[in-house]
Amino acid sequence: MTNDLLVIVQIAGRRCALGANDVRSVIEIGAITPIPRSPAWITGITALRSQALTVIDCRMALGFTGIGWPTDLRAAVVSGGGHAYALLVDAIEDITTATGAPGQVPGGFGAEWSRIASGMVETMIGPALLIDLAALLAGPDTAGGEIEAAA
Amino acid sequence: MDDLLADFIAETREMLEASGGEIVAWEADPADRARLDAIFRFVHTVKGNCGFFDFPRLASLSHAAEDALADCRAGRRDPDRALVSAVLAIIDRIAQMIDAIEADETFPEGGDESLIDALNVSRETSGDDGSGAAAPGGAQDEARAALHAPAAALLERGEGSASPARRTDPAAAQRTIRLPVELLDRVMSGVSDMVLARNDLAHRLRQAGNQPTIDGPFERLTTILSDVRDAITRMRMQRIETLFAALPRLVRDLSAELGKQVMIDLDGGDVELDREMIETIRDPLTHIIRNAIDHGIEAPSVRLAARKREIGLLAIAARQSGNTILIVISDDGRGLDEGRIGDKAVACGLVSAAERASMGREKTLNLIFEPGFSTAETVSNVSGRGVGLDVVRQNLERVGGSIKVSSQPGQGTVFTLQIPLTLSIIAGLTVEVGGQRFAVPQSYVEEIVQAEAGALDLVEVGASALVTFRGRRVPCLMLADVLGIAQGGHAPEASAPVLVLLRLASGDLFALAVERIHGHGDLVVKPLAPAVMRCGLYAGSTLLDDGQPVLLLDVANIAAQHELVGDARARALHALDEETARRSETLPRAMLFTDFSGRRAAVRLELVQRIETAPASAIDRSAGRPRVVIDAMILPLVGLPDTPFDDARVRLLRLSDGACDLLYAVREVEDAVELADVLQPVPEDPLVEAMTLVDGRPVSLVDAHALFARFGEPPVPATRPLCALPEGEWARTILGPLVTAAGYDIALSPLAADAGSARVQIVFEDVFEVAETLGRAPLGQVIRLRDQPDAPPGSTTIYRYDREALVAALTAARRGAATTGEPA
Repeated sequence: MTNDLLVIVQIAGRRCALGANDVRSVIEIGAITPIPRSPAWITGITALRSQALTVIDCRMALGFTGIGWPTDLRAAVVSGGGHAYALLVDAIEDITTATGAPGQVPGGFGAEWSRIASGMVETMIGPALLIDLAALLAGPDTAGGEIEAAA
Repeated sequence: MDDLLADFIAETREMLEASGGEIVAWEADPADRARLDAIFRFVHTVKGNCGFFDFPRLASLSHAAEDALADCRAGRRDPDRALVSAVLAIIDRIAQMIDAIEADETFPEGGDESLIDALNVSRETSGDDGSGAAAPGGAQDEARAALHAPAAALLERGEGSASPARRTDPAAAQRTIRLPVELLDRVMSGVSDMVLARNDLAHRLRQAGNQPTIDGPFERLTTILSDVRDAITRMRMQRIETLFAALPRLVRDLSAELGKQVMIDLDGGDVELDREMIETIRDPLTHIIRNAIDHGIEAPSVRLAARKREIGLLAIAARQSGNTILIVISDDGRGLDEGRIGDKAVACGLVSAAERASMGREKTLNLIFEPGFSTAETVSNVSGRGVGLDVVRQNLERVGGSIKVSSQPGQGTVFTLQIPLTLSIIAGLTVEVGGQRFAVPQSYVEEIVQAEAGALDLVEVGASALVTFRGRRVPCLMLADVLGIAQGGHAPEASAPVLVLLRLASGDLFALAVERIHGHGDLVVKPLAPAVMRCGLYAGSTLLDDGQPVLLLDVANIAAQHELVGDARARALHALDEETARRSETLPRAMLFTDFSGRRAAVRLELVQRIETAPASAIDRSAGRPRVVIDAMILPLVGLPDTPFDDARVRLLRLSDGACDLLYAVREVEDAVELADVLQPVPEDPLVEAMTLVDGRPVSLVDAHALFARFGEPPVPATRPLCALPEGEWARTILGPLVTAAGYDIALSPLAADAGSARVQIVFEDVFEVAETLGRAPLGQVIRLRDQPDAPPGSTTIYRYDREALVAALTAARRGAATTGEPA
């Protein structure tokens, strides 16, 4: 489908796209309650109306640590596996339509990105990395190891 | 199927299930009239209902049993073992026939006569001992053959539940409708969202202050909502009792068959879980019980040789923990043989010999859940029908549950089943540590203890801490350490942690040290994302009244991670200790304290809501009797010394009679004690109920009745003093915020009547002069403003932009108002 709506976000300085169908809403992030002893990429939980959202730092979930990326005050709310998540990203840019089917690029996207990318997609505002939400939500500890083992 | 027939089946099933326990109890004591009556009612009802339908065989069976029981009731014959067995055989046959009727199958012909004969044989033998010497054997055989029936029925039911076509709900109500479960789920999640919305609204209403026109309807909404919630919850939930009810009978049958003596102890029957979940765990539970009786509990002679009680104990306890239910099945039998399990696992190729050598005991034991594992050397009739523990685990995992085993050789085995709850609203306690709040399921909380210096002897042994609680050493975990967060910066409070004593489903007790208790309430528990669940510390999340998300601690898992769960269940071994403990629990208990006159006194523990610590500044002694502000409520305060005291903080016992709260100031809280000694009435002092001795020292027990009669009053929300402002935009937008910041509420309209009740009025000098001239100078405290920076000599007015002077005047006025008290 070429006219899929996409939410364009910046993650770790790269332009990424989330399927608009996956994104339930974009919210202003309020207070985040940290979760002691949880993986670093889980920032905490926050409340959206009567719901608790698990806040995920996408940069950390990709495996990028230690770099001070700017963080948008807004977060994209997505659901996966029956749970709702709020995704912290550098910036939420725009909503646009894809102008082509997702494809691969020669040479791949790099270790961190390959794990969560389902391909590259051309959009009205340029190319973006289409994110595989399930892989992103799984975090760096699990799936990353498997990919490495498989490689 | 005909509706009437469906009702008949459902009703009979319900009665069968309910009478399972009765029958076993009756067998233990055939002279028990109440049980006899209950069973008589059952067969009588079945007989009566059969009249509507064409079930001649059911009718003749129930009729025969009814006759025999009627004879017993009339005293014409004594119920003996043979009769009980014969009646049980008939009841089993009735159950089988009901199954067949429901499945629309024909029940195999024949066999009824011999069951009915068994009743009469028993009558003959009891009437004439000589003639029927051989007959009881026959009856016994007959009964024994029937005893195999329930096990067979259970197996059949297991198969039935696997195929959705024949799903039956044995506890279906008499009048039922069928609803898709998704619809119920939707209604339920709607209601739990409503509870959250209500909590949010409640919070906002509290912030907005008292509003009688809104509070009334809001109270009604709350009541209705809690009714609806109860009803909705019941729609899907069922007490686990319905599952437990059948267990005594199962245990009886199995132990009779295997020649063992087993006593069953059920606990936590009021725990509720999803109907469907009950069906899912029925088979696993049955399987584990079967295993425990077959392999775990030894024959009576072996037990005696091992210096155990002849009767084995099988304890089953259910507990709710956040989104999960724990069911703990423990026996005091021979325990699992680690060596044999290891050998077997190696032989089956489940693990290599090297792996086995490096495995811990617990890991080895849990191999029994691996597919293709069975240690029983002889496959008996009871266990080992090809359904192994691997199937049990599979079934549990399919619904998101888990199973674990631990065992101590010679002492027993504990199986822990963990099953999820689709949705739950639980009572929870909120605690704080390091500035963050966490919730603990109330069902675990045994007691909350303020760790006063000396009252609880907190000692550190190696790396673990122990507290002494009622003479027992109890392990203690620091929640801050468990969670790896820094203790909060408030050093004085951190030095005296609050201990929450938690009792696990296994009966083990441990203390969790937190910084502060926040309160308790109903919490709607929502599941957490899988990545968070993997930490193993949390069971779910919930939102507090103020919308703040809070994590619910997984108490059972935290305890397990710190190895606080006794391996062989203490409960089974300490059954006797518990009995003595229970006996002592009937003694009245009281909170012991030292009051400000140095007197040792006590107040009955039921009255004590909690122990508060209030800063001395929260105490107001101006109006007749002292009052104190706690949580924005004004409460009466007793027990203060007449002379001023210089402590910055006061310890207060919050007492409640249900409607009224009052606070009792104490110098030091000692401990909760039992009042074992004689209570000596003290007529001279109306506020003392009695004198008694605790540890050989006199203690006066506070007379709660007199105390509440004299001082009790319903709590009043604390209000801020009112301040009336001059009219105009300037006063509202520029002066108003300053006045609010100085601790005042703004009177709504400067002209309205409520301006009269305002503590302080701010008026412009020219307005004041006019009013004064007219003889209508405002009453009470007045702050006069002038427009010019420079004051005319001798003026008491304040320039309207002189912030410091304004704040000082407002503060002085408030203090003045506080000392003069409420205007009458």
